[in-house]
Amino acid sequence: MRTWHLAVAKLRSVFFRGRREADLGEELQFHLDRETERLVAAGVDLHHARLQARRSFGGVEVVKEESRDSRGTAFIDHLARDTRHAARRLVRDWRFTVAAVAILGLGIGVNAAIFSVINAVLFRPQTVVNPETLVDIYQNGPGGVANLSTYPAYQDMAAYTDIFAGTAATFIPRPVTWSNGAAPRQGMGEHTTATYLDVLGLRPALGRWFTTAEDALNAPPVVVLGYRAWTTRFASDRSVVGRIIRIEGVPVTIVGVAPENHAASVNFGVVTDFWLPMRTLVALGAPPGMFQRGIVEGGFFVKARLRPGVTVARAQAAMTALGVRLAREFPKEDKGAGISVYASRDVRIHPQMDRILTGLAIALLAIVGLVLAIACSNLATLLLVRGAARVKEVSVRLAVGGTRAQLVRHLLTESVLLALAGGAAGCVLAWWTMRWLTTLDLPVVIDFGLDLRVLAFALALSFVTGIVFGLAPALHSTRIELWQTLRDDGDVRASGQRWFSLKNALVVFQVAVSVFLLAATGLALQMVAAGREQRVGYAVDTVAMLETDMRYAVDAADTGRVSTEILKRVAAIPGVEAATLTRGLPMETAGMLIAAEGAADGSRQVGEAANIWAGPGFFETMQIPLLYGRALDARDREGAPRVAVVNEALARRYFGSVNAVGRRFRLEPGPPEWMTIVGVARNAWTNDLGDIVDPVPYMFFRPIEQSRITPTTVVARTTLGSAPLVRSLQIELRRVNERLPVLTAKTMRQVLEDSLQAAQGMAAFFTGLGVLGLTLAGIGLYAVVAFAVARKSREIGIRMALGAGSQQVVWSVARDVAALVAAGTAVGLGLWVVAVLVMRVAPVQTSGVANIQLYQPDVDPLAMLVIAAFTALVGLAAAYVPARRAARLDPLVALRHY
Amino acid sequence: MSDQTDLLQGTLDLLIMHTITLEPLHGWAIAQRIQQISDEMLRVQQGSLYPALHRLEHQGWITAEWGASDNNRRARFYSLTRAGRRQLTTEVSKWERLSAGVNLVLHRT
Repeated sequence: MRTWHLAVAKLRSVFFRGRREADLGEELQFHLDRETERLVAAGVDLHHARLQARRSFGGVEVVKEESRDSRGTAFIDHLARDTRHAARRLVRDWRFTVAAVAILGLGIGVNAAIFSVINAVLFRPQTVVNPETLVDIYQNGPGGVANLSTYPAYQDMAAYTDIFAGTAATFIPRPVTWSNGAAPRQGMGEHTTATYLDVLGLRPALGRWFTTAEDALNAPPVVVLGYRAWTTRFASDRSVVGRIIRIEGVPVTIVGVAPENHAASVNFGVVTDFWLPMRTLVALGAPPGMFQRGIVEGGFFVKARLRPGVTVARAQAAMTALGVRLAREFPKEDKGAGISVYASRDVRIHPQMDRILTGLAIALLAIVGLVLAIACSNLATLLLVRGAARVKEVSVRLAVGGTRAQLVRHLLTESVLLALAGGAAGCVLAWWTMRWLTTLDLPVVIDFGLDLRVLAFALALSFVTGIVFGLAPALHSTRIELWQTLRDDGDVRASGQRWFSLKNALVVFQVAVSVFLLAATGLALQMVAAGREQRVGYAVDTVAMLETDMRYAVDAADTGRVSTEILKRVAAIPGVEAATLTRGLPMETAGMLIAAEGAADGSRQVGEAANIWAGPGFFETMQIPLLYGRALDARDREGAPRVAVVNEALARRYFGSVNAVGRRFRLEPGPPEWMTIVGVARNAWTNDLGDIVDPVPYMFFRPIEQSRITPTTVVARTTLGSAPLVRSLQIELRRVNERLPVLTAKTMRQVLEDSLQAAQGMAAFFTGLGVLGLTLAGIGLYAVVAFAVARKSREIGIRMALGAGSQQVVWSVARDVAALVAAGTAVGLGLWVVAVLVMRVAPVQTSGVANIQLYQPDVDPLAMLVIAAFTALVGLAAAYVPARRAARLDPLVALRHY
Repeated sequence: MSDQTDLLQGTLDLLIMHTITLEPLHGWAIAQRIQQISDEMLRVQQGSLYPALHRLEHQGWITAEWGASDNNRRARFYSLTRAGRRQLTTEVSKWERLSAGVNLVLHRT
């Protein structure tokens, strides 16, 4: 009750401050008048009575202040007053304010943008009902770490109905093409079991989820639209249920719309557009073998709902028992690595991926944090310069009785206010960036929304920035020798005396960090250049390709005839020397496991290799020379003996010699069909130049005629330039069938360039950060130099009066700048060399799911030279204006006015 | 909430509260009354009177109301709240114990 009373009183006194002030004034005035009256009554004349009353009362303002303070609202009062005061000052110095807010806005904006990505990937919670009873189950890979499960293993897990109230499997989300009558587009597809939504405890937003009957190999395919896809691609049309669309060319019936709050089965920002029954994987082109038990881990995620009262530990015990049983029953396929159960709350994507993602997120935040550090130290520099320019004002305030604590509080309020404004600007910037990102038609929709967590992050960042980076300048600029500054010639004392001043240290720091970031750009560019210099080993500049998807235009029975016709027409284009059919992009590989014949134990000769589907004429078109045997040709049809061409690397790795013609291998897992090697091709690169981490891929080429799948791509080599050929290819395709969509039409050079996008994106990212940093550092440098020149005007004037030429003056300014820039550059490059050395010795991180090997960079002296030159240029630009001002100083004016 | 730290301050609070037990008084009258009753022995520092009044009001021991003074001007009259009365009795007994103790010490030695 008393607390309540106090709170109300406090609130009232805060809000009715004006009235309270008036009351206080009137009360005290009444006291004085009454006292005067008393004295007059005692015989004192009015004038003296007034004086005496005042004297015995003491300072009216002091009493007012103390009365206010005794109400306990002093803190809030002061805060409000300081804030008003600071806001007024900032508005008055609007140039400084705009600069500071822009600098901080950039720094905080970049951070908020990156954080919102990380938020989407790592922090945003997933909506499920009763998450505490939901578990994720993984079959373990080698080393007993969680991996993905096979489909039969999922069925075995689902049989534990005494432990699990429900079990569901999902497949790794994958991009699919789809069409709603118009040209096919990319979307994200997820395959799940019919139980999926029930296990999560969610309801479809519209229609229904698919049934167990629909999740069968031969059932007509159905689809549940993702909520986002429904609202953006289907205009939230409630009549979509029952409509037929095409996914991967296959007609599929829409039966419902997924819940709004459930974006995807894995929680890292990816948004699923199409939810499909698990078994339609086969109808949409996956091999039926994927549902078999194999020696490799399958691609299935398993989620289960615990029965009431069952703990995670009990589920783990049951699954451990299952693991032991599977190892006993299937000794060939299951090596007994066991099964892991995790509470779903503790997993975002996959236990192993989570670790890697967290590391990446931290690294990313650290990198953009550097930009924020530059922005902050920049703010500190500006505040210091401003503080120094305000020395007189501060001195006067100290002289008339302001305490240092009060002054520091004022300055701090100012910097916090600045930082908050910067934070707001940063949020707007981040919001724009994110909106721009979502307008891009990316194949994968990722939900990078700015939510409260991002805003809180930006707010906290601004507060900390304001306090931490405002405190040092505030303390610094209130440490003043009064007698010195209040003297008229206070400005004469040379500011260049102290070399290791805070301002200089900050500028050196900013330059160093920017140089470091630019050096990182150098690394990314190095990777791009290394990719470009790759000897690909096949024809590039004379080759063009076109990818279509016949399933959108042609009946399954007709695809063979249509593809033959396309090939015939392309071969007839003037200038074309050779043409062939393949699947996907030319030289695009798919990793598979193969087992070589002749190994005593299957395990030793089983390993990874990359598959390419090649039509007749492939090697001639791509100009990949055959070392032994023959190329794939028209003989290798459906029904003919199964054959393959391998590259040197594969031959040597699995068969011990380059001439492996006649040897056999098969896929693992898969039907026990042996493929005979009919030729060995010279090593060639894949289409991915960015993939310079894992240099020699083991490749095998199989005849596309012997696959179940339709060719998608026609590749041709010409003597007449590949760019016009791209157009001709499109014309020919349209002549064959107008409805055939063009998925990709590029020259081979473009294909290769596009594969460098990741590295180029990284280079652009670092360049952006580095240039941003250097710009900020330049502003800081400018502020420091301009201030030093203004401060030394009198000194410069004296020098010029004594005969110094303008050149000498410029030199004296330039010398300081050069020293700062050189120090910063040296520190930055030094750090970079250390970082490169660390990267070179960093161990290769290997895990079952992801192989991350750092690219081993070189220290590139040329790049360092370029960076140093660029930094020098920025320094020059920053020093130019102040130096010119110094040089043009009229000694007479300088001596008189400064 | 009771301030035991400062004896002098505590004493002033005690005197103020005692003075307004019978009737509401404004600040000036409180100071006068204390001086009169104590036969001018106690002089209230007028400067510290108002902060004390505002503190007591803020703590909820006394309330203030605008009223007309004897010479018909608007004045702020202070009176004890119920919590203030309770507080006064504990303060008085505390003071009596303290002064008795101090007296004892002074007279025994």
